[in-house]
Amino acid sequence: MLSFQNTKCECGHQNPVGTVLCESCGKPLEEAEAASTAPLEMRYDGAARRSQKTNPSIIDRVWNFFSSVKIAVWLIVITLIASMIGTIFTQESAFISFDPDTYYEEKYGWIGKLYYELGFSHTYETWWFTTLIVMIATSLVVCSLDRVLPLYKALSKQQVRKHVQFLKRQRTVYEGAVVGDAEEWVAEVEQQLKRKRYKVKREGTALLAEKNRFSRWGPYINHIGLIVFLLAVLLRSVPGWAMDSYLAIREGETLQIPETNYYLKNEKFTLDYYADDELPDELKGIPRPKLYQTDAILYECTADCDDPLKEPVLEEVSQHGIIVNDPMAYGGLKIYQFGYDDTPKLAAVKPVLVDKTTGKTYGPFELSMRNPQLNYELGPYTLELHSKYLDFAMDEKGEPRTKSDEPNAPAFIFMLKGPGLAEDGEPYMYFPRQIDKEKFSQDAINGDLANRFEIKVPSMEGVTFAGTVSTLNIRTEMAMPYIWTGTAIWIFGVFLGSYWHHRRIWLRIDEGRVLLGAHTNKNFHGMRADVASVLKKTGIDVEPKSLDNGGNRA
Amino acid sequence: MNSSLLTFSSDAYLVAFFLYCLGFISYGITIAGARYTKRDPKAYMKRWGRISYVISLLGFVSHVAFFFTRWIGGGHIPTSNMYEFISFLAMMIMLAFVVVHAIYRKAVIGLFTLPLIVIIVAYSMVFPQEVQPLIPALQSYWLKIHVTTAALGEAFFAVGFATALLQLLRVVDFREKSPRARRSQRWVEIVMIVGVIMIGYLVSVFGFRAAGYEAVFVQENVTITDAGVDNTETDEVVYSLPPIFKPFNSQVQEIDSFIGLKDGVFETPHWMKGVDAARKLNTIIWSIIAGLVVYAIIRLILRKPIGAVLHPFTRGIDPDDLDEISYRTIAIGYPLFTLGALVFAMIWAYEAWSRFWGWDPKEVWALITWLYYTAYLHLRLSRGWHGEKSAWLAVIGFIVVMFTLVGVNLVLVGLHSYAGV
Repeated sequence: MLSFQNTKCECGHQNPVGTVLCESCGKPLEEAEAASTAPLEMRYDGAARRSQKTNPSIIDRVWNFFSSVKIAVWLIVITLIASMIGTIFTQESAFISFDPDTYYEEKYGWIGKLYYELGFSHTYETWWFTTLIVMIATSLVVCSLDRVLPLYKALSKQQVRKHVQFLKRQRTVYEGAVVGDAEEWVAEVEQQLKRKRYKVKREGTALLAEKNRFSRWGPYINHIGLIVFLLAVLLRSVPGWAMDSYLAIREGETLQIPETNYYLKNEKFTLDYYADDELPDELKGIPRPKLYQTDAILYECTADCDDPLKEPVLEEVSQHGIIVNDPMAYGGLKIYQFGYDDTPKLAAVKPVLVDKTTGKTYGPFELSMRNPQLNYELGPYTLELHSKYLDFAMDEKGEPRTKSDEPNAPAFIFMLKGPGLAEDGEPYMYFPRQIDKEKFSQDAINGDLANRFEIKVPSMEGVTFAGTVSTLNIRTEMAMPYIWTGTAIWIFGVFLGSYWHHRRIWLRIDEGRVLLGAHTNKNFHGMRADVASVLKKTGIDVEPKSLDNGGNRA
Repeated sequence: MNSSLLTFSSDAYLVAFFLYCLGFISYGITIAGARYTKRDPKAYMKRWGRISYVISLLGFVSHVAFFFTRWIGGGHIPTSNMYEFISFLAMMIMLAFVVVHAIYRKAVIGLFTLPLIVIIVAYSMVFPQEVQPLIPALQSYWLKIHVTTAALGEAFFAVGFATALLQLLRVVDFREKSPRARRSQRWVEIVMIVGVIMIGYLVSVFGFRAAGYEAVFVQENVTITDAGVDNTETDEVVYSLPPIFKPFNSQVQEIDSFIGLKDGVFETPHWMKGVDAARKLNTIIWSIIAGLVVYAIIRLILRKPIGAVLHPFTRGIDPDDLDEISYRTIAIGYPLFTLGALVFAMIWAYEAWSRFWGWDPKEVWALITWLYYTAYLHLRLSRGWHGEKSAWLAVIGFIVVMFTLVGVNLVLVGLHSYAGV
């Protein structure tokens, strides 16, 4: 391709190596291009790109690799396929707590195991996926620089009078006799073109009309936007720039936001469902949430923040009703409604102790799930709290344990002391919820003692439930302004490059015959329509389609 | 909810559907008639092209009436579930067609765009049509902005696809016997078969729905809880097509008679978890069988591949025009898609879900679609891919679009599942 060394054009202009069309008169220089009669390759106006150097060094070779659009397309295609693979099975990041070691195999069999072992269960966080993105970013930078500079130079020093070959081999061409005086006719063409908002330059009977050159910068602007966007994404990995934590707050509770000086109070949680008359028949009776909102107050700690012995001094800084599409925002902190848990959970019960042999009842006593007393004096008997499980379960060895800190299945073991009982007391297990009592067979656990004593809740009076837990997502995203800036530049460039078209018309008259060539980077249909309309108004009637000279349909 | 308005709305939709069908037939007459007419074919095309366009436009007006009455009657923009979204997409395809028609004024664009709209409108009717009040995640003005812009972009891709398919029928020579030509012929025919399978799907769904067919299966699943207790859960699934494949380990509870079928013919393999997977598999198998039967009948009547029959009708069309229209349509859709499906999506995701990007399957597939059309544009602009190559890319691109819109919701799981059936 770069076989020739003589880059001086017949018009006298010295062109850089790799130039396809003379920078000055547009005559085809490159051997293959010069020998052909097919429409010209007008990309970058035939200017030499940086990557077209003779004797490339190693840096040049790397540059050339990334400057290739072919490579860019391959990178896009590989990223595309990798992204597809990543959607086959649910990614690890979609789960809050699970064991990926076993999950994929259990759920999907051997293929799931393979998927996990190959790392596809976290495709988008793998080193090779990141490498692909980095390579695309490099390609964006290099491709753009390689082309935009020569193109800018070529477009800013255009000659009006172009070589006959250059004109004849445009994709839109008209040749014919001039009607009347040549100078007058060209002046008329100039007027018509100006009416179509072309910028016109004339040199005697040669003319260059141009419009919307700015649209040529569209692709480069959108690439710059993408680069800014990708760099901003990179910024997120700077410590402190991106924070992501979750806070489950019960109604009425105030909790510290981890790793900050802020405290958040869940003042009130509202959960509304659609009423049946608002729902279509098929959805009637199925709860469908209408609204869930956390009325939250944000406090900043002003004193005694780290002293465990003192209550921190809090100062209210913000108040907001947080709903899904409307987070609370304060000083770089954003608090989102993430979810809620409204399954009723016991807060406290008021049970009594029944002596089954005498039928006498003692109590009631207040038993709080979270803060039970250690001792309850009930007539002649004493209940001593031995242990407490909020979310009772048995582990593999059959030992009792608690699954979570939520009172989903509370259980208490009391030491019952009193007349007729062992000196150290006898253990009595108590499940406040009837369902747990049956599920875990309370009576069987208590054995003989169950025949003599029972702790039970005589009525719903005194039974209280805990408020709904609202899960909030707390985020800091310092990179957001940069991400949005990049996005804005990107989309601006995409529109600029797509919806405006750079159009140029060259014209010269030699011995009473006009030769017109026109070029656009997009939409040749519109280009031909423009030329035909101008010709028509100056007395030459042509079908737009007849101007088509074939060639690359880019 | 205003039920009389909603009734009017559904009627308007039905009217739009029939007008689109009529528009399609009329476009068929335009193209086919131009070949056989004894008068000037150009004048004939012009006359019939205008008639077809007006009929299609009336369909569009009716469609718009459906959209706005449903919006007012239902209280929110009708783009929030599968039925609403797909009917909206069809409306946007019609809008894209109007725009492209205004630029190029070519009747041929309608020849494949109208049947595409007809199929998509019919497909929307497969899904439940009730107005469902919005869940909190969807209560945002971004529902209006994000969904509509993305759908409009996709609609241009759809028109680009329809034109590219026509271009392929035009440029693939069905008489030639070289291996390359044969390969093109085969692939064009495969696209035709896929279209027929889609019709087969619609015919079987609406056929059995009209007959009121139902089969109910119950699947028992035993799991062992933490407490070591057996926990039996039963799942029930209602089939609206006769069960070729019944759910794994399931019992018939109720079955309507269909050629003496008392139980599923086959059992779905155990690795297809859940009763819904079995139902979907059954639907796919049914569509393929019904589609292939329809295709066999067509072949028996035509005695030639569908492509070979359609090809002669396209001879009067300039393939370069089709190439340009297809490409330009995609180039118009690309910025809109970028804006709606990526930029607006990121802004909304940041507001609702606290992150602008989360690798949710729907997000990833929007990105895949975008990467795909980005590659298309680069190949065309910088690598000179045009003509047949570019037309194939446009056809495959639409398959990617449809998977993003429908496939992801039906096959993959993720945050966008509320748009599902």
